[in-house]
This record gives sequence, C-alpha cells and structure tokens, in this order.
Amino acid sequence: MTTIAARIRAIPSWQITLGLALLALGFLIAAQLAAEGPRVRYTTQERSTLVEAAVGLQTQQSELKSRIVALRKQITDIELQGAGSKEVIKDLNTRLDEARIAAGLFPLTGTGIVLKLEDSTEPVPPDGNEADYLAGAADLRTVVALLWQTGAEAISINGERLTTTTAIIDIGGSVLVNAAYIAGPYEITALGPTDLFVRLSAAPGWEEFVRTRRGSFGIGISWAEPDHVDLPAFSGSVTLRESKSVPTPAPSPTSTQPAGSAP
Amino acid sequence: MRDRRSALTVAAVAAILGLLVVVQLRGQTGGSELESKSAQELTSIIANQNDANDRLRAEVATLQTQLAELQSDRATGVTSVGQIESELGRIRAWTGLDPIAGRGVTITIAGEIDASAVDDLLNELRNAGAEAIAIDDMRVIAQTAVGGVPGSLDVDGFLLRDPFTIRAIGRPEVLVGSLTRVGGIIAQLSATNPSATVDVKPVDDPMVLPASKRDLVPDHGHRRL
Repeated sequence: MTTIAARIRAIPSWQITLGLALLALGFLIAAQLAAEGPRVRYTTQERSTLVEAAVGLQTQQSELKSRIVALRKQITDIELQGAGSKEVIKDLNTRLDEARIAAGLFPLTGTGIVLKLEDSTEPVPPDGNEADYLAGAADLRTVVALLWQTGAEAISINGERLTTTTAIIDIGGSVLVNAAYIAGPYEITALGPTDLFVRLSAAPGWEEFVRTRRGSFGIGISWAEPDHVDLPAFSGSVTLRESKSVPTPAPSPTSTQPAGSAP
Repeated sequence: MRDRRSALTVAAVAAILGLLVVVQLRGQTGGSELESKSAQELTSIIANQNDANDRLRAEVATLQTQLAELQSDRATGVTSVGQIESELGRIRAWTGLDPIAGRGVTITIAGEIDASAVDDLLNELRNAGAEAIAIDDMRVIAQTAVGGVPGSLDVDGFLLRDPFTIRAIGRPEVLVGSLTRVGGIIAQLSATNPSATVDVKPVDDPMVLPASKRDLVPDHGHRRL
C-alpha cells in the first residue's frame, strides 16, 4: 500500500495536470461528436435556411414578449401613481389589479410544487413506438389537469404561464405552449396549498399516470416541494378580436368576491 | 529544457480544451433543438411562429396606444375613468370573470365519451384561436378540469347532461375547419369513442357565454414585485 502511495507521490505534478486535461478533452470530443449526430442526418441547404428563419422568429418572439411585459409594467406604474387621486379611480385600479392577477398577467410567488417530466432512457424495443418513450403534450396535459383537480391555483411549464387560452400541443417533435416552443425536460411549476403534492399523489389519475408512463415506458417523473415557487407572468396577447365584454355591475367597494369553487 | 517542453504540452492541451468548451457551449444554445428537425417540421414551426408573432405585435400596438393615452392624460392632469374601465372589461372578459359575446361554433356531444377526449377538444379549440369557451352554462377557464367516467362526466365537480354542448367564440370558419379537418380531433374522437356522436355547427349570430363563478385570485400566493 505504502509503495503505491509512494509511486503516486513520485509522479510529477505536470503529468497529473496533463492527464486530467486529456480526460476532459476526451469527454468534450465525445460530447461534441454525439451532439453532431442529428445535424449530420438532416443537413441540407433548404434546412439551414429554415433553421435560420425559425431561430430569427424565436428571437423576435422573445423581444416582443419582453416588450409586452415592459409595457404592462409601465401602464401599471402610471395607474398606481394616480391611484390615490379619487376614490372611484382607486377602486377601479384595485379591481384591475385583481383581474390581472386572475388573468395571469402578474408574476406570482407562493407555496407549491415543481414536477419534472423527461424522455425515457430505456431502449425502444423493435416492435415499440418511439413516441411512447418521449414526454410530450399529452403527458403535460394529463399532469396539468390533475394539478387543477387537486387544488393548483396557477401553473407554468418551462416558464410559460398557463391561461384561459393556453393550448398545449405537439408540433414537429416539440411542444407548443402559448406561442413558445419548448423542449424537454419539462418543468411544471404549480402554485397551491402546502399539501398539493399529497393531494396529487392521492388522486387515482396520478397513480395511473405514473404506472403507465414511468412503469411501462420509463418516462422520468420527479418532483420537489421547495419553500416557495415562482411563476412568471403571461407575456402573450389578451386582445379580444372576435368577442366583446358583456359587463356586469361593479361590486361596491366594500363587498368581497364570492368565495367557492363552483362554476 | 524538459520543464519547458512539459509546460508547452500542458499549454497546447489547455488551448484545445478551451476551444472545445466554447464550441460545445455554443452548440448548446440557440438553434440546437431546431437543428434536429426535418424540413417539414421546421415549416410547421415557422408557420405557427409567424401567426404567434403577429398576435404579439398586435398586443404591443394595443399596449402602446394605451400607454400613450395614459401618459397624455397624466400630462394634462386628467385621469380617464373610461379607459381604466375599458381595460378592466377587456381583461375580465378574457379571463372569464365577466360574460363575453361573439360568434363562433357549437359542438353537441351525445353518448358516452372520455373525459380526456373532452379535454382534447377544449385544447384543440384553444389552439384554433377560440377566445372563450363554455360547457353548457359553465365558463371554461384556465383551471377548468373535466373528470369522471364516460356516462357521468363532470366539469369542476358539476355533472354534465347527456347530450351536452360546448360553445366557443372565435372565427366560425377557422374553428369548424380546424375541428373537422381530415384526421382532426372530431375524426379522432369518433374513432376512439364510437358510442358518442359529435355535431359541429358554425354560429354567425352573437352568443353570450356566462362568467365563471370561481374566485380566481390565488389564496396561496401573491404578486411578485
């Protein structure tokens, strides 16, 4: 034992440095080659133009979303500055804030859970369907529905806040949530009661989901219960193009919203 | 001499290492996910993104107008009650806190159907641009969940009748086209739920969808400043 230790001590430090560097080099070369795989498979002149167009549109979309969030903040700030001027304005601004919170137009923080869905790492059997081994829109919709049923009050997926108009669909091997293309692993953040995960795991639908998706196909399903969860604001459009509001009488300033869960 | 050669070797390896780290990191960002897609998939993504960006541009324009009016009112010392009421009405109607009116489509479903099939139908309507949806007299909001077993489905705990009707506001021709296209959601539902009949009709006269009765302000969180 002491001989081995003595031999290790005798190795010059530059050799150890070089050895470690070569190890990292080998790892990086392997990672680079693996990442190159799918690109080589599809590389054509037409595709690179399409990829450039899609990347350009994604960049535009990010800029537009940032602009929307910034404009909404500017508008809210101006409204707040005028909030104390008149009782009627103050009341309207309070209602507007509540409506924006309900709509998902403000970022939220509170108690909740984070669930993660990942593609299976199991090999697809020769007679198997590759899509069954990928986490996709149907999985996300199932989990989201279960979360709403068990008491979630707000949900986001990979930073996209779910709203009344949000669709979750598979397009071209990606998942479209609101206007954003997102790729796995999918992180579903749900704001809700402190026992949200207990409620979720007690739901029969959750047990069936875990059994079929993880048990049969190896889809990665994990969760965490952090001290608090943060959800972003919805940064999409709330414009009504084909419809118009049918106003209801405003509540008196002292009345409260009716509590309850029945539609 | 030997020390100098060793130092040069380590320096050369470190340089290659640095280069590969940069290449690898650059490869992880931007279009790496898109690189693996076929031309057909990319075309579909581009078409969707064009539509989505158009909607976002329209939203930016609306907000810019609203901001300009607010700034102008503020400069002249006027606070526009009308403008705040208009904004409040728009957001409340969009969220489901107020009733909403418009043309669209009705879908009448009779017979036994899965809860997940109804959920898929709602998802398809949203994807086709529906601005508001109701199932019978219950407004569909973000939190709406369809549960139960075929024959006794419920929406947020309220049992559905047989038949029940889904009403959606949006461009009728777009909604009907999206639902009834070959291989679309109605065709899929008919194949997976053979005992159910699904009837889709465009509605050109304004329908009024009710407001949700739920309190949508969260109890377990607050606005993050």
